[in-house]
Amino acid sequence: MDKRIDFDTAAMFASDYSRTSKPVIETDGLTKQFGTVAALDDVDICIREGEFVAIMGPSGSGKTTLLNILSCLDTPSAGTYRLDGLDVSTLTEPERAVIRREKIGLVFQQFHLIPYLTALENVMLAQHYHSVADADEAMEILQSVGLSARASHLPSQLSGGEQQRVCIARALVNEPAIILADEPTGNLDEENEKLIIELLQRLHEDGRTIALVTHNPEMGALADRTIRLRHGKLDG
Amino acid sequence: MAVNSKLRSAFLWRMLVKALTVRKGRAAIAVASIMVGAAVVFALTSLYLDISRKMSEELRAYGANFFVGPAASSPDRRFDLAAYRRIVASVPEEKLAGASPFLYGVVRLDLGNAVLAGVDFTGLKAISPYWQPEGGWITVDFDERNCIVGRGLADKMELTVGKTVTVFNRDKTFRTELRVKGIVETGEAADEQMFVNMSLAKKIFGTGGRIDLAMLSVVAEGTEADALAARINTQFPEVEAKPIRKISQSDGRILDKIEGFMALVAAIILVITTLCVNAILSAMVVERTPEIGLQKALGADDRAIVLQFLAETVLICLVGVALGLVVGFALAQVLGQTVFSAWVSLRPLVVPLTVGISLVAAIAAAVIPIRSAIGVVPARVLKGE
Ligand SMILES: Nc1ncnc2c1ncn2[C@@H]1O[C@H](COP(=O)(O)OP(=O)(O)OP(=O)(O)O)[C@@H](O)[C@H]1O
Ligand SMILES: [Mg+2]
Repeated sequence: MDKRIDFDTAAMFASDYSRTSKPVIETDGLTKQFGTVAALDDVDICIREGEFVAIMGPSGSGKTTLLNILSCLDTPSAGTYRLDGLDVSTLTEPERAVIRREKIGLVFQQFHLIPYLTALENVMLAQHYHSVADADEAMEILQSVGLSARASHLPSQLSGGEQQRVCIARALVNEPAIILADEPTGNLDEENEKLIIELLQRLHEDGRTIALVTHNPEMGALADRTIRLRHGKLDG
Repeated sequence: MAVNSKLRSAFLWRMLVKALTVRKGRAAIAVASIMVGAAVVFALTSLYLDISRKMSEELRAYGANFFVGPAASSPDRRFDLAAYRRIVASVPEEKLAGASPFLYGVVRLDLGNAVLAGVDFTGLKAISPYWQPEGGWITVDFDERNCIVGRGLADKMELTVGKTVTVFNRDKTFRTELRVKGIVETGEAADEQMFVNMSLAKKIFGTGGRIDLAMLSVVAEGTEADALAARINTQFPEVEAKPIRKISQSDGRILDKIEGFMALVAAIILVITTLCVNAILSAMVVERTPEIGLQKALGADDRAIVLQFLAETVLICLVGVALGLVVGFALAQVLGQTVFSAWVSLRPLVVPLTVGISLVAAIAAAVIPIRSAIGVVPARVLKGE
């Protein structure tokens, strides 16, 4: 595979988005203070509909902190955050819960599947909090990540890669405005990492908006563009 | 919308059962705690509601507890038998264990004078359950050929069961022959008396329809007896009714003490149950912190989290209560047999009462764990590591 060409194509797409798509995520002066530590310092980013953005930076640079705020799990100390046109930086916790289930799909490094629920039920759980659990629809999503044969397995009966695919299916099932993934391949071997990368790539091609935190430059290269963080600030 | 909520609760139910099955050990301990609490509440409440009845049954075994005599204004110190009948009829049937009128007078027997009492044998038997006549009771009303004789009198008059005794009234204008049906030993004045049917006594003494007094055995708790006496006294001015106090008052005091003690035991057990369930639920919440964090990240709001844990608590509680009712019923019987030598009957009221109290205890136990579940910060617990 010629990465050079891939990169160019992605760059071309990127310029495309900036002209045509509406912004899904817009932050202005986003700051997060943990005591005296500024985990995020005056961060302005914009992610447009259909974009695949990689967030990179050294350990402790504030990637997870940023993603937590973007996913409405945390609130900024200062600055504004608009998600899908709505200012969510001033919302109350119950309001943010609504935003989480309506707009956000989360993919975790540790998968966070519920151990006593089957793969299918783990997907249905997201539907349950969103609206109502629908086994057929959940099954379709599992099929789309290649796991229909594993639907009735418990997480402990699945490989790491399979668990991560269940996690991705769970993130997809409610058709979120954006998928936010924090080092989704951090716990996987190379082979499974590749599978997950391909899956994310495919989702991107399907037109999903994705923000991905990664340490892996190869994965970063697959994204339309990369946001770099250093000491909580945008780098370059 | 209705279909949606049905589907929602179906999934919630499925999740809940799985969540509890995977923690069988903890869930079982919680169920057992509720079971013990519910059983004690059930048993003690059953006893409490049944105990007054049981106690007054015990009490009635010691005799009549209600006395009716003539009013002070009565010229012959007697009152009408008809008034007695009306008084008895005015006492609710379920409150009346038995009653007998008494008409006393002196008669001449072959060997000397004796006190003869006219009574209602059916009533006398009911208000004097400890009388065990040798030979047997007179069971037929209006039986005018038999009599019951007190032990002391029988010895003096050389009477034995089956013997015939000739009875004259004072001025020898009336004479009848009576067979001694039974001889009774009571340790009371009755030992020196003989008993015949009221109809015969009326003929012997020629008092018309007048009687000396009446004894009643009434199921009356606390102030009920006083209220009954007051009512009879106003309604029937020709008589003076009063409860016989000695036994019922001390009985009431013991009853109060036992009831207070039972309430205390039930309260202590309930507090222990609540603390125990609280500890188990708290441990469950701690164990499930990552799970709760994930649920919140998926958009579960506080209401959903509360609903989930409340549903689990209620499920645990209902299973515990179901077992508790069975155990409690058995416990009530053991206590009833030990303390009162009686079976405790199932009062329908006790079941909802036990379920209600257990639910309150379980939900109280869940308050702190549910608060800590709500307090879970997903951003913090999902970091993993
Ligand atoms: N809850 C917290 N309380 C205090 N400090 C925090 C908290 N969370 C993060 N920090 C600090 O904020 C900074 C950024 O942390 P963050 O987890 O965002 O880094 P990261 O870029 O995700 O690192 P890594 O690549 O190791 O995951 C770090 O210095 C960290 O110590
Ligand atoms: Mg991180």
